[in-house]
Amino acid sequence: MSAGWSWWVMSLIVLNFSVTLFLFLWGPRAKIPTLPDGTSGHVWAHGTLREGVRRLPRWWLLLSAGMFVAGFTYLVLYPGFGNHKGALGWTSHAELARDVAANDAKLDALTKRFDMYTVEQLAGDPQAQQLGRRLFEDNCAACHGRAGKGNQLVGAPDLTDHDWLYGGDGKAITTSIHDGRGGVMPPWASLGEDNVKNLAQYVLSLSGSPHDAARAAAGKPLFATCAACHGADGKGNQAIGAPNLTDHIWLHGGSVADIERTIGGGRQGHMPAWSPRLSGDQIHVLAAWVYHLSHEHDVAAQ
Amino acid sequence: MAFKHFEAIEKHAGLLGVLIAIFVSIGGLAEITPLFMQAHAVKAPPGVHPYDPLRLAGRDIYVREGCYLCHSQMIRALRFETERYGHYSTAVESVYDRPFQWGSKRTGPDLARVGGKYSDQWHRLHLMNPRQVVPQSNMPGYPWLATKKLDAAEIQASMRTLRRLGDPYTDADIAGAPAAVDGKTEMDALIAYLQGLGIKNEPTPTPAAATAAAGTGGAP
Repeated sequence: MSAGWSWWVMSLIVLNFSVTLFLFLWGPRAKIPTLPDGTSGHVWAHGTLREGVRRLPRWWLLLSAGMFVAGFTYLVLYPGFGNHKGALGWTSHAELARDVAANDAKLDALTKRFDMYTVEQLAGDPQAQQLGRRLFEDNCAACHGRAGKGNQLVGAPDLTDHDWLYGGDGKAITTSIHDGRGGVMPPWASLGEDNVKNLAQYVLSLSGSPHDAARAAAGKPLFATCAACHGADGKGNQAIGAPNLTDHIWLHGGSVADIERTIGGGRQGHMPAWSPRLSGDQIHVLAAWVYHLSHEHDVAAQ
Repeated sequence: MAFKHFEAIEKHAGLLGVLIAIFVSIGGLAEITPLFMQAHAVKAPPGVHPYDPLRLAGRDIYVREGCYLCHSQMIRALRFETERYGHYSTAVESVYDRPFQWGSKRTGPDLARVGGKYSDQWHRLHLMNPRQVVPQSNMPGYPWLATKKLDAAEIQASMRTLRRLGDPYTDADIAGAPAAVDGKTEMDALIAYLQGLGIKNEPTPTPAAATAAAGTGGAP
């Protein structure tokens, strides 16, 4: 605050304090002219209402005195009197920094312990699970769901199965969270509507799903284009996040219409990078929770 | 002494009211006036630029649809807020917001730093029908945004008005608006606005870096 405004605030506070304090001290001592009947002589409603003159009640005097003391003490201790910083030097930002430091100190031992483990080892740790679950629900659940089952509408993979787009070991999961992932499947509508339909049937045949054999056979030669990413056998490629097409797990839906739309229009998967929002320690614990989601039964068996 | 005036004050409600108002206004004069005047002196720091046309249109849609009634854009300096939403908000971040969207009510989460947290596709599904991505959400859907095209002339008028108020839009910025919003829907604009929140208006050093330095984003 500029010096001018600081003076402005201080003057108003001094004015307010002086007027109210004067009234408070003077009020009980004031000699108010009183009529013989004990009233001030001020009448309302043609004399029906008259103003009595009484001593101020003790509770009121004590309460008011307490408020003066509280107000004065506050302005001495805390910021408020113009640019006066307050004897305690309190600021909301310093209090936040203290709270954060206190919390960090509380978790320090835990964090140090977590750092000694790999993501895979940490997945079975109950305390890490507790923290990881909360972080997951706050940050990841919007796309992957609270249970980690994914959402085909947004192209968020199911994290509870053993099918991984970019690898399911601790390191790969950590990288996915830290840097995010961008999956791009280009649109192939240029092949013609009929070819897209044929390809869709061929893709269904890869996983042994019900399909039209004639169309699948017609689509087979076209799959050479797709093989660049999905592999000649359609088993996908974790280096670029190309899904495995030979299982029954579908990122964007496994109906004929879904697959035709995927081939014709392409798909863009976008997992944001979490490194700007979460600390390395948080990502470590979170990766352990994600690993735990897909190994829940294995870990429980250990 | 002054007692003779008391009767007049006591018995004239208008006079009593005026005198009370004068005394009560001391609080406002001390607390509101200096901050009000200082708010006008806040200058944009390096790294904070006025909204580009698409995001400006999105901001107007945000206001029109009343998003601020349920979403604040003000992260307070309290640990339980900075843990969840990121670095606390600062005044300079909303220097080009007229009016600012700080809000005071959170039926939904704070959005001050929602930019980049979700993908564009997520926002699209969420605005069409929030239950598609968050089953327990009670937010209404805004499907009509996807069908309404933006009006470039309106955005240009808005930019010219903001320039008169002091926002540094150049003639080239305003002339480029129709190209920037060509073919875009209100949905695109709103998503662009949301995806810029806390990213496009953050002063340097970045809040993320400041957070790390302050240890806010420390160990879980």
